[in-house]
Amino acid sequence: MQAGIRAMVWIGAISSVIAAALGLLLVNQDDYGGSTVTIHQWLGLVTMVLAIGTVLALRSGRLELYRGLLIVTVVGVSLAGHYGVMLTHGDDYLSSVLPVGKGGSSNPVSGNSQFVFASATTGQPLTDKQIGDLNLEVRSILAHNCYSCHSATKTKGELRLDKKEFIMKGGEDGEILVAGHPEKSDIIRRIKLPAGNDDAMPTKGKRLSDHDIALLEFWIQQGAPWPNGAEKSIYRVADLEPRMPALPDAPAGITNPIDRFVNVYFQQHKLAWKNVVDNRTYMRRVYLDVVGLLPSPEKLKAFEADPRPDKRELLVKELLGRNVDYAQHWLTFWNDALRNDYTGTGYITGGRFDITNWLYTSLKTNKPYNQFVRELVSPTKQSAGFIKGIKWRGTINSSQRTEMQAAQNVSQVLLGLNLKCASCHDSFISDWKLADAYAFANIFADTTLEINRCDKPTGKLAGTRIIFEKLGTINGKATTNERLKELANFLVQPKDGRLYRTVVNRIWAQVMGRGIIEPVDMMDNEPWSQDLLDWLASDFATNGYDIKKLMFTILTSRTYQLPSVGLKDADLITSPNFVFQGMVRRRLTAEQFADAVSLAFSPIYVDTSIVEKQFPKQLKEEMPFPRASLVKNDPFLTALGRPNRETVSTSRSSQANLLQALELTNGEKFNDALKRGAQQWKATYPTPDALVKNLYWKALGRGPKPNELVIAQKIVGKNPTTEGIQDLVWAISLHPEFQLIY
Amino acid sequence: MKTYWNRREFLQKTSAATMAAFAAGAPMSSLLSSCSPSKKPGQTNGTADTVILLWMAGGMAHTETFDPKRYTPFVKGMEGNRVLSTFKSVPTVLDGIHFSEGLESIGKVMDKGTLIRSYVAADMGHILHSRHQYHWHTCYEPPQTVAAPHLGSWIAKELGPKNPVIPAFVDIGQRFTVGEAEELKAFHTAGFLGNEFGPFFIPDPSQGLESVRPPVGMDAKRFERRNQLYNDLISSGPMGEFGSDYQKESLKRSMEQAYMLLNSPEAKAFDLSQEPKASYDIYNTGKFGLGCLLARRLTEQGARFISVTTEYEPFKGWDTHENGHTRLEDMKKQIDGPIAQLIKDLDKTGHLDRTIVILASEFSRDMMVEGRPGAKVLEQVNQPDILSDLKFYGMHRHFTDGCSILMFGGGIKKGFVYGKTADERPCKTIENPVHIDGIHQTIYHALGIPPDTHYEVEKRPFYSTPDGLGKPVMDLLI
Repeated sequence: MQAGIRAMVWIGAISSVIAAALGLLLVNQDDYGGSTVTIHQWLGLVTMVLAIGTVLALRSGRLELYRGLLIVTVVGVSLAGHYGVMLTHGDDYLSSVLPVGKGGSSNPVSGNSQFVFASATTGQPLTDKQIGDLNLEVRSILAHNCYSCHSATKTKGELRLDKKEFIMKGGEDGEILVAGHPEKSDIIRRIKLPAGNDDAMPTKGKRLSDHDIALLEFWIQQGAPWPNGAEKSIYRVADLEPRMPALPDAPAGITNPIDRFVNVYFQQHKLAWKNVVDNRTYMRRVYLDVVGLLPSPEKLKAFEADPRPDKRELLVKELLGRNVDYAQHWLTFWNDALRNDYTGTGYITGGRFDITNWLYTSLKTNKPYNQFVRELVSPTKQSAGFIKGIKWRGTINSSQRTEMQAAQNVSQVLLGLNLKCASCHDSFISDWKLADAYAFANIFADTTLEINRCDKPTGKLAGTRIIFEKLGTINGKATTNERLKELANFLVQPKDGRLYRTVVNRIWAQVMGRGIIEPVDMMDNEPWSQDLLDWLASDFATNGYDIKKLMFTILTSRTYQLPSVGLKDADLITSPNFVFQGMVRRRLTAEQFADAVSLAFSPIYVDTSIVEKQFPKQLKEEMPFPRASLVKNDPFLTALGRPNRETVSTSRSSQANLLQALELTNGEKFNDALKRGAQQWKATYPTPDALVKNLYWKALGRGPKPNELVIAQKIVGKNPTTEGIQDLVWAISLHPEFQLIY
Repeated sequence: MKTYWNRREFLQKTSAATMAAFAAGAPMSSLLSSCSPSKKPGQTNGTADTVILLWMAGGMAHTETFDPKRYTPFVKGMEGNRVLSTFKSVPTVLDGIHFSEGLESIGKVMDKGTLIRSYVAADMGHILHSRHQYHWHTCYEPPQTVAAPHLGSWIAKELGPKNPVIPAFVDIGQRFTVGEAEELKAFHTAGFLGNEFGPFFIPDPSQGLESVRPPVGMDAKRFERRNQLYNDLISSGPMGEFGSDYQKESLKRSMEQAYMLLNSPEAKAFDLSQEPKASYDIYNTGKFGLGCLLARRLTEQGARFISVTTEYEPFKGWDTHENGHTRLEDMKKQIDGPIAQLIKDLDKTGHLDRTIVILASEFSRDMMVEGRPGAKVLEQVNQPDILSDLKFYGMHRHFTDGCSILMFGGGIKKGFVYGKTADERPCKTIENPVHIDGIHQTIYHALGIPPDTHYEVEKRPFYSTPDGLGKPVMDLLI
């Protein structure tokens, strides 16, 4: 018991020091303000001193002092705790009901604070543009700090701050602002009150910054201007129109347009051009990116020896010309994106249709992308599966009705736009409204949709409108087929820059490991080079919407040929602070890995694994071997990252994990293939030397280094055994050098 | 995808990091470990560390199991409407609480757990088992715009494995080669949380060892040699020049983990042949019973979340479209002994104190009502009003308005009954209705996972229960 008490007192003292340190850290990091935080801070520090005193008293055996100090410390802990909770949970935490409700709500992300008070000091009347900017800033502050309690979803005190008329109207206590008189405006009085005051706003601890308060005051002083009509968004919105930037000048040797833009980017970021990668690395890269396969040792050696200066261009041309191999590789990417699979939910009750045959043929013939989109949106029977969605038996949440799925998927995949929020309620992360989403969905509907908010009918009927009205007006009275034809034609117009930016960004991300914009489904985000993105999209549109041509331009650029870059953390890929320096290293996809093992060593799949029925008849004759993109999903592919294609999926994780490692370590499929292969290799290569060298060349595209040869020969034995071969192949196929596109 | 960290979470994570530092032998460790009764590794802030879900796949009729009503024996030509239960009631250890005949053993351990008689399944129209199962396991109705994670994946993500060499989410007994397989796959997934937190499948518990031992035909020595070879090749290859990147690092780390698991003494837990015969025999009522045994053995070694299912296959198991009475005799034989033994064994070793065992099903069944009273849906079962044959004697329609759930251990009340259904048809919930988000939140609460846990997916918050509105049913907790 005594020892226990002693330990607890020690722990208490140590904890108090840690708590105080953390608290000080947080108060500087976060925008806490007001008297509560000051009280909490000093009480905390005093408590810490008391706790240390208590320990010292106990150690020196002065029991009277120890008891006294202990009691005072306990009081200190309680008081500091009370004020601490007031900070984090609001001062009404005791009276509010448990358990605590919503967690950190998502803050809409506004652009950087662009508005400067230039005009505040000059005394000049504001220009229209300045008024627009000022209003934008004000709405951004309100959105970040006030919407969580004062908007359409939650309207405390009958006050809404998300629209002009509501702000001007005020709440249950009357008007909140007097135009021209910040000092008479209740909103200003309240945001200036110290935290803890009954009237202070916002109620939950965090205070507005001085800058924000000053800006709101200035805005009211200016008469609280709120221009009618088109209001500027508080969210970043990308331009819809295409833009063809002029090619920048470039030093000698830099001719590819991509390189000229990247050269400007490098100059801005004080980066120097590095030497391009060697022939072997380049060949492996383009093979995997264009046809998804490893180059054979013969091809590698011939390429090395080829003296032609333009051999890299010729290689890319040759690979892009391999229509079947190209289609069988890119099928995987498009299956993910278009949510197309050979098995999956919905088929069982006739609630889903696959588009495999159409997709495969489209890729094989390199269908121009405008036509590709047209056929997806205004489909034939063969391509209808994309907009038909997945229908489960029973009643469906209205935000998931198939017409809404079509609206969401067309927006996400083709336009890089997230309509998922707005299909349930007005979005909190963009300006899209429920009515916009319904109007878009209505284009796909046979009967006019009733608008549902959060799955509750509103009694209002949806309009019929394309999400970007500038693209054209849909005839609401036309039949569904006619409407879809209109929509398709509007979407693929050259002036729909967004459609083409989205696709070139996706292709770029596939071969570069990271998009010019990330995430690739959020095309309103800022690109690391607007000029490059715009040029690629415009060039794509003016050159026949030809994906292969786009790939040629990218793959032959010096930019693509730069040494690859590694990232320490997967999250860095989507970081807004990303600086482009070259291709980001990627892991082979499940399909690339299976194909690489199949080709370099022994087939993972057999002919009968192929989903023949859904493909064109000649599939079996034209496939080089049973490729993984042509089989049903299985535990092996799932473990390696092939998604279940129930929802759109436009990027795959490159990160390894335990379940995957287990599948590769003792999974039946993989081990069986290795065993079969080992038996064959044993018969083909009787000496360890020939065997190891061949394996290295086929798998890694190089001969083994002397020390590697020693290790490998030891494992396969003087007379190679099946076990030894199997184990060596296993180790090599899990080697990062095999697993990565570098 | 990014998580929000409030200060509470920050402290949690840092204290976990501190624990890790201590474990790694940081200098302060000797000071604290000698005097503080600190948490054991893997222990949560809640009252439970482990969850075992016993899944009664296919729709378990409450009136034939844990909430029996008036018994009417079969007579040829009888009116179906007169039949509420096709079994007699038997007493349980709890005063005044009866179970349906055939569940006597579970009845005897009810002093260790809670019986919920008022679970109300979602109203999703025309019944599809896999859709209700999806809803039960993820708390979201399919389809969804974002791939919703399984309950086990949320737990795996928030708490990680309890013992690093036992996968955090183990799924026992479900094959994916049967009908509705694709629909089943759709919720046996970590969804947007990522494959790492997905289920580790053991479709056949008697083959559990297969999944955690070196490949067939490879002895321990060769397995070790192969692993050594792998490490030697990595250190001798030229990849070093690439520096470190996350793909490479995560690959090396995962391979080490896999090797550790396959080589660890804990892997023996997967081997049911190690179980003493007497005990093995009690559990061995079939695949489900052995699944319970495997779950117990894994719990003892530090599992985090285990699901054991009677296995869903259309028109099999609990999915009785005819011969309901006869079929249930068999189902009860499969579950009664093993479940009771599981509770007793976990209790005896003290594991029950920090392990929640929960038994549930996607919905209940009734002889007459399809769906629920007032919201009847398209009938799927050809059930005549007059029972001309024994095969019509049973609960063959799908009923969503009153289902039973059992919960034991890990901070759940003992000897407690919650909720009530009507004693006459429709035998629907009339007191304390419980919904799926409440069940999930009760489990999360016991595990110390905050109710507002959420991640940002495509800039939208995705909560562990829809809109973060689920609340734990505090009445169920001690």
